[in-house]
Amino acid sequence: MKEANIGKERFYRRYGVLLSFIIIFSVLALTTPGFLSLSNLTTVLRQISINGILAVGVTFVIITGGIDLSLGSTVALAGVTAALFARQGGDALALPLIAGITTGLVVGLVNGLIVTRGKVAPFIVTLGMMTILRGTALVVSDGRPVSNLSNAFNAIGGGDLMGIPIPILVFLAVVVVSHVILDRTVIGRYVYATGGNEKAAYASGVDTDRVKMFVYVICGAFAGLAGIVLASRINTGQPNAGVSFELDAIAAAVIGGTNLSGGIGKVTGTVLGVLIIGIINNGLDLLNVTSYYQQIIKGVIIIGAVLIDRNKR
Amino acid sequence: MRKYFNGLHPAASLLLLSLAFAFGCNTKARQAGKPYRIGVTMLSLQSEFVVNVKDAMEKYASNDSVELLIVDAERNADKQVQQVESFIARGVDAIILNPCEVEASSPAVDRARKAGIPVVNVNSETKSTPDAFVGSNDEESAEIAIEHIAKLTGGNGNVLMIEGYIGQAAQIKRTSGAERTLAKHPGLKVLAKQSAEWDRAKAMSLMENWIQVHGDRIDAVFAQNDEMGLGALQALEQAGLKNKVKVVSIDAIRDALGAVKEKRLDATVYQDAQGQGQGAVQAALALIRTGKVEKTQVLIPFQLVTSENVDAYLNRR
Amino acid sequence: MGDLLELRNISKSFPGVRALEGVSIKVASGSVHALMGENGAGKSTLMKILNGIHRPDEGSVILEGRERVFSGVRDAMEAGVSMIHQELMPLPELTVAENIFLGKEPVLGRTGFVDFRKLNARASIVLERIGLDIPPERRMKELSIAQMQMIEIAKAISNDAKVIIMDEPTSAITSREVDVLFGIIGQLKADGISVIYISHKMDEVFRIADTITVMRDGRVVGTRRAEELDNDELISMMVGRSLNALFKKRVTALSGERLLKVEGLEGDHFTDVHFELYKGEILGFAGLMGSGRTEIANAVFGLERPHAGRITVEGKTCDMGSPRQAMDHGIAMVNEDRKMNGLVLTSSVAENMTLSSLTDLSTWIFVDHARETEVVKREMLRYRISAPEAGSKVVNLSGGNQQKVAIAKALLTKPRILILDEPTRGIDIGAKAEIYSMMRELADSGMGIILISSELPEIIGICDRVIVMNKGRVSAELPGEGIDEETILRHAMV
Repeated sequence: MKEANIGKERFYRRYGVLLSFIIIFSVLALTTPGFLSLSNLTTVLRQISINGILAVGVTFVIITGGIDLSLGSTVALAGVTAALFARQGGDALALPLIAGITTGLVVGLVNGLIVTRGKVAPFIVTLGMMTILRGTALVVSDGRPVSNLSNAFNAIGGGDLMGIPIPILVFLAVVVVSHVILDRTVIGRYVYATGGNEKAAYASGVDTDRVKMFVYVICGAFAGLAGIVLASRINTGQPNAGVSFELDAIAAAVIGGTNLSGGIGKVTGTVLGVLIIGIINNGLDLLNVTSYYQQIIKGVIIIGAVLIDRNKR
Repeated sequence: MRKYFNGLHPAASLLLLSLAFAFGCNTKARQAGKPYRIGVTMLSLQSEFVVNVKDAMEKYASNDSVELLIVDAERNADKQVQQVESFIARGVDAIILNPCEVEASSPAVDRARKAGIPVVNVNSETKSTPDAFVGSNDEESAEIAIEHIAKLTGGNGNVLMIEGYIGQAAQIKRTSGAERTLAKHPGLKVLAKQSAEWDRAKAMSLMENWIQVHGDRIDAVFAQNDEMGLGALQALEQAGLKNKVKVVSIDAIRDALGAVKEKRLDATVYQDAQGQGQGAVQAALALIRTGKVEKTQVLIPFQLVTSENVDAYLNRR
Repeated sequence: MGDLLELRNISKSFPGVRALEGVSIKVASGSVHALMGENGAGKSTLMKILNGIHRPDEGSVILEGRERVFSGVRDAMEAGVSMIHQELMPLPELTVAENIFLGKEPVLGRTGFVDFRKLNARASIVLERIGLDIPPERRMKELSIAQMQMIEIAKAISNDAKVIIMDEPTSAITSREVDVLFGIIGQLKADGISVIYISHKMDEVFRIADTITVMRDGRVVGTRRAEELDNDELISMMVGRSLNALFKKRVTALSGERLLKVEGLEGDHFTDVHFELYKGEILGFAGLMGSGRTEIANAVFGLERPHAGRITVEGKTCDMGSPRQAMDHGIAMVNEDRKMNGLVLTSSVAENMTLSSLTDLSTWIFVDHARETEVVKREMLRYRISAPEAGSKVVNLSGGNQQKVAIAKALLTKPRILILDEPTRGIDIGAKAEIYSMMRELADSGMGIILISSELPEIIGICDRVIVMNKGRVSAELPGEGIDEETILRHAMV
């Protein structure tokens, strides 16, 4: 009896999110015409890639017990910066890419420095950065969308490689790299240890400040990448893009089993969380549910998925 | 680091620093020697159209002897009321209000009038009546767009409507204008309508999802602003459907005019930001100088922009 | 005199620890029954059962001839069992009378308002009964600790207590106040109330107790009438022969090679600390809690920056800026309070064990899983860590196994100096024995070990040399043979 219980518990711990995903997927497949088609599923993957990149990045931060609320604004600033460089040449590609990712890196660096050196709570730091970066994006772009971007740049969001849309490939690359870092590397171990018990990790010789710097920088860099993908997808750098993107990203990580108090979380879980949010958005549009109800249903499903996750513990 | 802040609270020093920064940035607006000062509160300087109205005001004001104090209400009516209160306290000669909301921004008008300061509403309305209104009738813009769709499709076809942020005045009026006009064309059938919150990326995702359900049956898309129209356009182009589907949107922002010129976007509806901005400052000056205006309602008409007349609009910018 | 209270054959287990095993005690009415034993002997668990905080797994509580099961503190109190805690919990802003009658204030008619006149009058009666001259209107915060204690006793009396448990009641009061307290206890006896008196202080126990029960490792060693016992006999009952068997004596002679030298170390909680540690030596740090022992260890291990002083490891002066630097100099530490400072509870046995030595077990930036698994399995066998598998979360392990994981983690850094801060707190006797023999083996292999402990038998049994701390200063350095509890306590407290 006890043995069976442990087995059941372990099954839920490992597969609880997967179970939620399968349930929601099956319901949508049965009720929604057109949902199961290959082209629709490709569409879903393309649409989730931006939230996916952000959610994987913020998973790192949440595992250390931190939070990043500046994601959405970073997306806007990086998108605008990249777009400014993509506008200048007819074929510009490398420069905008470097500019966008560097923007994200620098934002992460600043977040990390204030959190570690200034000993300010991450919630406060990134809340402040959220408005600072939004303002910066408006200043840099003069409050207008930056358009007329090079074809090469626009191809990131719109093009495909061997039939697979490039945003999906970018997302996949982010997932693989992040999974390897968290699961296989020394720094990955330190990330879990820092979030699980910072004092113990420090006493065990882990440079916890450096670990925190690392997670904010990687989260910022991914946000920069997401900004590039978004800007090229809509062919403009929008200073007011990405509002509340951080909330979807955090929701995805939490649905995927990442613990907001730190120490627990997996990239695979976050990917499932992203997929759950993605298929809900897609399915509700296909069913032509009015936006009033869409908001209610999304909220209910987010809480429901986390409740299932909670019950298994 | 900590050592240097001894004696001064860190937050206080940061505050001082940011204030110094803010004053540095503000010098442009503080030109001395102008006889009239007009307080201007704008809906949101994150919206390109509103920025265009503001630019037109500044341009016109620089010709005349008037100083504009421009603030951003960031779509927050409560903040807008506070801004008007501080204009009153500073004793401006007139106030131009670009309202956030019909009801909630009304107290701003009431307070200014009570203080004896003339108020001009620009672009959209409030429940309280100001001294003058300069703007356009949003319902008209949707009428023009739908009439154009009817013309392009010969009065028969399936239409998708992408709405703005639900509950805002522009969305309500553009939806009612569109629905009234659609009723006149029984051959036009609405397949679906959904909000994309004025956002290009959201409209693109929405259109992608609609293509999955409705696919070949789509004949036309009406988007309530250009941002969403451009998003829908991009999704259609990627799906290889653009040559079959007509897209018409509203506002005539720079990107949209470019797309019309390239014959990608079928049409946009020009809302005359320049006319509105200029008209608002003119009305305010008239009220300051003579205490009255010729017309309390100046309606700047919307204009349809297609590839035939687009060059004229591109040159205005 | 009949038995007022009987605890019959009580057993209680917590996850991983058998706290009580077949404990039986009889308390006569109107008597003072002392309960003695070292930390972790099971006294407080037993009292928590009597007080309704814990339920026994087996056995029964019989009060006035009736078997009772208490559902909580309040339930026990109503049945006549009250406890005066070591840390008092009065409400400082309320008056003496309000504290005594908290939750059962006399009410004015049906209004719901407190009848203060009646309240104060009743309080006066209770206070008079134990001969206490404190006005009932006085605020609690104006009283001394001893007076607060007496108010707690008054409160127990007002509850018609038949048994009053006093946990280390004299730990924070002066000797004159002790006299007053003992006067009150005499009064209680005369009224037929029984007192269970928990204390480490032998002179007090002999002064006041009628009967003495000694506990060790969750069992009763024996119950005697106080006049039948003397000091020596009591100590041998408390420490027991079995404890001596736990400690293995050194097999090799000390080489006299110096590993660590600390000079003039000064920090927030200690000043002017000098000491040396030699190869193969186990050096004990004794002293009361808060005497600066842990803080000194933290300074040596780079967890806290000292204000002044010099730390020399094997002849080299070292800057201990962080634990990582200390580890690079060959120092490892197992922290006090393993759940707070020692282990990452959300991670697995393997992840915790290799956390400090991960760079040795990796190729470039990648953890070498095969090698890690091999090392972890080896260490689990060596220290007999019982966990379902290397991937089990440490949170599910018993205290002893958790501590062994923490020790294995420290040892995997291959230190020459090992600091152990309270390594046996809260773990069972079997795990303790294993840790003691592990320490001896490590010392015999040449490691220098610093043991910080509040358990004197442990310090006396295993250390080659003992440094006694008192209020942040080294008050004595006691060499080798002939260290005893009394000497240590004298230096620690005076």
